[in-house]
Amino acid sequence: MAIFPPENRVWWNEPLHRPEIIWITVAFLWGLVMFFTMIYWHFSGQQNLSNEAYRIFPEVYAERTEAMAEKYTVRTETNLDIPVVHPKPGTDVYMLARLWEWWPILELEKGQEYRLHLSSLDWQHGFSLQPTNINVQVHPGYEMVMTITPTQAGEFGVVCNEFCGIGHHTMVGKIIVVDK
Amino acid sequence: MSASPDDNGDSAVPERIPAMQRLLDNPFLLLFIGVTIPTVYLIWGIMEVAQIPMAR
Repeated sequence: MAIFPPENRVWWNEPLHRPEIIWITVAFLWGLVMFFTMIYWHFSGQQNLSNEAYRIFPEVYAERTEAMAEKYTVRTETNLDIPVVHPKPGTDVYMLARLWEWWPILELEKGQEYRLHLSSLDWQHGFSLQPTNINVQVHPGYEMVMTITPTQAGEFGVVCNEFCGIGHHTMVGKIIVVDK
Repeated sequence: MSASPDDNGDSAVPERIPAMQRLLDNPFLLLFIGVTIPTVYLIWGIMEVAQIPMAR
């Protein structure tokens, strides 16, 4: 039993028991499988996007998002009059997270490239694009920028997957992808 | 009769303890390593976060 000291003064050279070496080998190989799966999935899964990170003051981020919304709003949706923003392809598009909403609704064109910016105005949220299942942590004071090209038209839900308080479950948003 | 290393007599030369056993038998060295290695990663992470540039 491991609770007692080894019987031999030099225990390091004692041979491993068969079950022990089998479990060590299995655990090591499984660790390698998971490690290489992460790398493989980064490229083939298209869910863990490569991103750029920048520091930004939340009020500056809010200004940029509001400026984009003011310029490119095409209509509003829901009884909260959330603007639906259709920015020019190839430009920077902003979505902000705050208690408890993703704002604004983005309308993007299929097959066009955008630089999607994400940041939070208050505390940590989790951007989760469904059903594609792209997940990004969103922090106040930092913006994540991803270069994206929507490949499928339709409506995609954005949910918060980082518990952010009493209204967390109501924190939903939307990205609409339209055929040109 | 002379003593051989296999006997338990006082004159036997003790077998040298392998380095890995000396490491694993020393709880303070293990504690030091257990604190130092995560600290290296912590400092690395802080450096990475501190180097994030301002948004243009």
